[in-house]
Amino acid sequence: MDTENAIEVNHITKSFKVYLDKGSTLKEKVLFRNRRKYDSRQVLNGISFNIKKGEAVGLIGANGCGKSTLLKLLSQIMYPDSGSIVMQGRVSSLIELGAGFHPDMSGKQNIYTNASIFGLTRKEIDRRLEEIISFSELEAYIDNPVRTYSSGMYMRLAFSVAINVDADILLIDEILAVGDANFQAKCFNKLREIKSNGTTIVIVSHSLGQIEQICERSIWIQNGKIRASGIPYDVHPQYLEFMGNRSLPQEKKETEERAQNGDGKSKPDIATETKTLPRRWGNGKARITSIKLLTKDNIEKQIFSTGDDVYLQVDYDVIEEVKDADFGIGIFRGDGLRCYGTNTKIEQFPVFHLKQSGQMRLLLQNIPLLPGEYWLDIAIESERAIPVDYWSKAYKFQIFSIIEDVGISRINHKWMIEKQE
Amino acid sequence: MIQTIKEIYTYREMIFSLVRRDLKGRYKGSILGFLWTFINPLLQLVVYTLVFSVILRNDIEDFYLFLFVALVPWLFFSTSVAGGAGCIWSQQDLVKKIYFPREILPIAFVTSQFINMLLSLLVVLAVILITGKGINLIALIYLPIIMIVEYLLSLGIAFITSAVTVYVRDLEYLLGIITMAWQFLTPIMYSIDIVPENLLPIFRLNPMTPVIIAYRDILYYKKNPEIDTLFHAVCIGLVLLFAGCFVFTKLKRHFAEEL
Repeated sequence: MDTENAIEVNHITKSFKVYLDKGSTLKEKVLFRNRRKYDSRQVLNGISFNIKKGEAVGLIGANGCGKSTLLKLLSQIMYPDSGSIVMQGRVSSLIELGAGFHPDMSGKQNIYTNASIFGLTRKEIDRRLEEIISFSELEAYIDNPVRTYSSGMYMRLAFSVAINVDADILLIDEILAVGDANFQAKCFNKLREIKSNGTTIVIVSHSLGQIEQICERSIWIQNGKIRASGIPYDVHPQYLEFMGNRSLPQEKKETEERAQNGDGKSKPDIATETKTLPRRWGNGKARITSIKLLTKDNIEKQIFSTGDDVYLQVDYDVIEEVKDADFGIGIFRGDGLRCYGTNTKIEQFPVFHLKQSGQMRLLLQNIPLLPGEYWLDIAIESERAIPVDYWSKAYKFQIFSIIEDVGISRINHKWMIEKQE
Repeated sequence: MIQTIKEIYTYREMIFSLVRRDLKGRYKGSILGFLWTFINPLLQLVVYTLVFSVILRNDIEDFYLFLFVALVPWLFFSTSVAGGAGCIWSQQDLVKKIYFPREILPIAFVTSQFINMLLSLLVVLAVILITGKGINLIALIYLPIIMIVEYLLSLGIAFITSAVTVYVRDLEYLLGIITMAWQFLTPIMYSIDIVPENLLPIFRLNPMTPVIIAYRDILYYKKNPEIDTLFHAVCIGLVLLFAGCFVFTKLKRHFAEEL
């Protein structure tokens, strides 16, 4: 094993027996031994990858693609049929929250039970107790039985224990949607902190946004094989496009139904066109035709200085009326880091009804981004966040600066230093 | 094997907290709470005393005690084996979602039953002292030995029953009947001396026979258990423990899929 790697996965395969008529009683096992029918379903089919120490990797894929099984194999809950998994360091899996909680016991007692299931010794728990309690923000209730907790409090306590288990490798399955927005942000910050301390993280999630926020790499699993692997910003658009095409037939049916009801005109089939274009998807009822970045004097530019006013100008055509539309943008650094994203819906703008072609302008005042290469995503969405035209990596621009400050963005600041005589 | 033992040692706190949760949680909500752990065996003892000294008279002296010093260890064994069969099945959420050495579950279950037996034995000792029956202190030294042997023996069988139950659910129910029959094939309600000569080999094969005899020697007859009884018990205990570990190790790999 390479000492730089935390996880090495070599050609693992895993199949499950799916019993069509599962007889697990003794009689059935003995008498109908040969009659029992099962299908062998190959869940993982020769997967290999390495994960370096300190790296954060997201596993994405459609339901049933095998990503959760892979995580279970990594956490040694199951074992592969063939191939090998080698891991270095203490592994902790956040797959189930609140394991072993007893409703009649106090929050504190449950911390001990729960943490011990993650393999912590009493001393280790004693050391972490205060941090766990303060992280959960349940100081006032910690001696009450957990049955008196609200479900949010319960999950907060459970997550606090899980996240405070020190591990070299952390495996996380779809559990970051815990508590209110505040607590979620806190969890994310904690995860980043854990990551910056050198912990290797593997996340399974359907929320690509979560993965983009934490991971340097995404592995897309499709039918038990790795379909693509790379920085999230490259892999996710491919994945979304693929998923978009898969759900297309249904969308089409819906519009056909609407056409039959007589409230819509027939529309040209733009959707098939988006299929051939990479990094762009949507139902095609409206379409972005041009994107420009302008200075305040209306001069088109692609290179700006940190602190400039930047005007984004987007022209669009409307092919079929779009109700309840909103506009969104995303700014990504060249390495895929999402620097900023927003849309008119988040900012509580009234929704738009797009009937005819038009133009949208957005002023990015004193753009605070630091030098680098950036990508713009532009999106038009209709109600229930259905993408009408989502254009990823639609526009590239660059930022330069004469000041050599570092980071992602220049936070507005002012030095206040007393004069020394 | 050594690695598994090491790992179980790292997870020792899990055993403690599961045992604690079981013991504390068992009588939660009742008014007398943890006191039930003592009241339960005491009341049982009262019932046995009444039944055997008033209704079912018997020429064995202090028959209630004769019975009880054997029944308490037997109940520990039978609950470990029959009740322990479901200990992995009933924690399937844990097993399917979290990694920990699977051995922890039967160990915690048997340990919790073991502590229960200890508390019941305290009641028995108290009764022995109060009734003035007396205790042989030298013989008492053998008590921890035979208790450890019984613990290992029960654990070995619990390993097997809990692992097999994951695959064959019926075993748990079947074991209810098996342990009942087993109880009558073990010299608990009677002395080994009344067993016919030609049936003795069966009794010798029964791992609980030497254990029960030793308990009774120590607590009822106030004498040191025979060396060959002890040797017999230790041997059977170790064999069953190793057999249990072997079976468990074979079966545990597919727990998460079968559940």
